Parts: sequence; C-alpha cells; structure tokens
Amino acid sequence: MAEQGESTWDVEALLGDVLRPIEPPERLSGRIEGTFTALSAAAATELSDWAEELSDSEMRALRDPRNWVRPVVAVGVGGVATGALVLFELRRRGRSEANGLKGIAQGVRERTPF
Amino acid sequence: MSGPEENVEPAQLAPAAKAELDRAFEDFYRAHLRDVYSYAYYRVGNHHDAEDLTEQAFLQAYRHFDRARRESDGRPLRPWLIRIAHNLASNYYRDRSRRPQTPLDSADPIATRHDTEDLVAGREELRQVMANLEALSDDRREALIMRFALGMDNREIARALGRSDGATKVLIHRAIKQLQEEMEGAGDDG
Repeated sequence: MAEQGESTWDVEALLGDVLRPIEPPERLSGRIEGTFTALSAAAATELSDWAEELSDSEMRALRDPRNWVRPVVAVGVGGVATGALVLFELRRRGRSEANGLKGIAQGVRERTPF
Repeated sequence: MSGPEENVEPAQLAPAAKAELDRAFEDFYRAHLRDVYSYAYYRVGNHHDAEDLTEQAFLQAYRHFDRARRESDGRPLRPWLIRIAHNLASNYYRDRSRRPQTPLDSADPIATRHDTEDLVAGREELRQVMANLEALSDDRREALIMRFALGMDNREIARALGRSDGATKVLIHRAIKQLQEEMEGAGDDG
C-alpha cells in the first residue's frame, strides 16, 4: 500500500486510537450472569412443579428418556419467553439518543473545547 | 445423537452434557464479553443499548452454542458470535429508524495516553477520523470496527460478515484508503 506510506496521516494508527476496545461495565457481567442463573432456576422450577403433579407410574415413566419431551418443551418455551421479554424491554426503552459512531463523534465534539 | 444441522436447545440435553455445555459457554462468554460489548458500543453508540445488545447476543449464542461447536470443526467461534451481535444491531437500527436522534452519553475513547499538547493536537485528528468513519458505508465501517476494536484478522472478519477472505481484504483496504483520502482532503482544505 504505497499510497498510504506517502501520506501525512497514519490512518491505521489513528484508527487504533479511535476504535479502542471498550471495557464492559462491571454491572453488565452481573446482569448477564443473573439472567443465565434466572433461566436455570426457571427451568428447574418448571420441572419441579410439573413433577409434583405426577403419580408413581408417571414418575417411573419420567425416568425414561423417551418421555422427556414435555418438560423440555416447557423449558424451551420459558427460555424463548424470557428472551422475548428482554427484547421487549430493549425495544420499549424510548431513549432518544444518537446512533453508533455518529453519536460517539457527537459526544466527543461536545467535550472538545475547539 | 443429533446431526450437525440440528439445533438442540441446552435444556434438551442430558444433564451431564448440559453441564459440560454450560462450562464451555461460561469460558466462551468470559473470553468474548469485551469483544461483543465493544462491537455493540461502536454500533449503537451508547452504553445502555450496548449492554442490552450484548446480553441479547449472549442469550442467542447460548441457545445455539451446542450446534455452533459441532459445526465449527475446531475453528474459533468469535466470528459466529460477532455475526449474532451484527444481526441484532441491524434489527436495532431498523427498530429505531423512525425515532428522533439527539446527543448521547459520551464514551470519550480518546481520554488517556497523551500529554496536554499532544492531547489537543491529537484530538483534532481523532475527531476528524471519527467524523470520516461515520461517512463510510456500513460494511466498511463494520469491518474497521472488527479489525481495530476487536483485533480480528481478515479471515475472522470474513466469517463474521459472510464474505470471502479476498473480498474482505479488498473491503478493508478500500475503507482505509477512503479514510486516507478524506483526511488528506480535509488537510488540504485547512
């Protein structure tokens, strides 16, 4: 890339400065891990509630892997519902903020005294 | 045993398999949280939505993690994960396309490493680069975010964008060249 070598600007170095990795806030780790924990707990509760309604013969049948479809479907539906709730929450928030690099650039402009 | 084309939800796995999957996913999540967050942040431009997108990306990744591992043939899964984030970010833009846009929280990605004089001189350059990045086409800008913010190589970026290695190399080259020309043009104007 000879033309880049002749340039006044080292664009790749500038890009390295502008597009630095962003450390996620600590609260995000806790939030995501909490979500996964809640999903696991919801799955366990779903299975437990359902198992309490079963007779002995049904409990024996439950131990047969061929009969694992119902709880699995219930957990699957629960998982999808949780995902949908998260997505709904994401969409619900009506923050009026600029998008992407445009917004970042705007933020930088506002903080730069020239 | 399920074939490579079949997705099995984590909850459908036998307990031992699910425990192994969960452990592997936890390592995967810890290794790539910063990548996904950085990508999401540079795509959506604010921390709140970047957090939402990051969480959503990992939830989706978890649901398909087992299948992705089976189909990866040992290749890194980071491009697959970033592709999920990429698709979610695209949905985000579609969803918000009709909403008014006003200033956002400041990331200030250029706050350290310079002494005072360099900081002032450097900020103008960096501000200019940022402004020129905005003007790039989406695919060029995304490729540069993956390259510089995430440190992905051409092959990884190609997989994340669903392009060939050659096309990706050209895409990045042209993106940098365009920025170079914009910077030169701005310098001549000033």
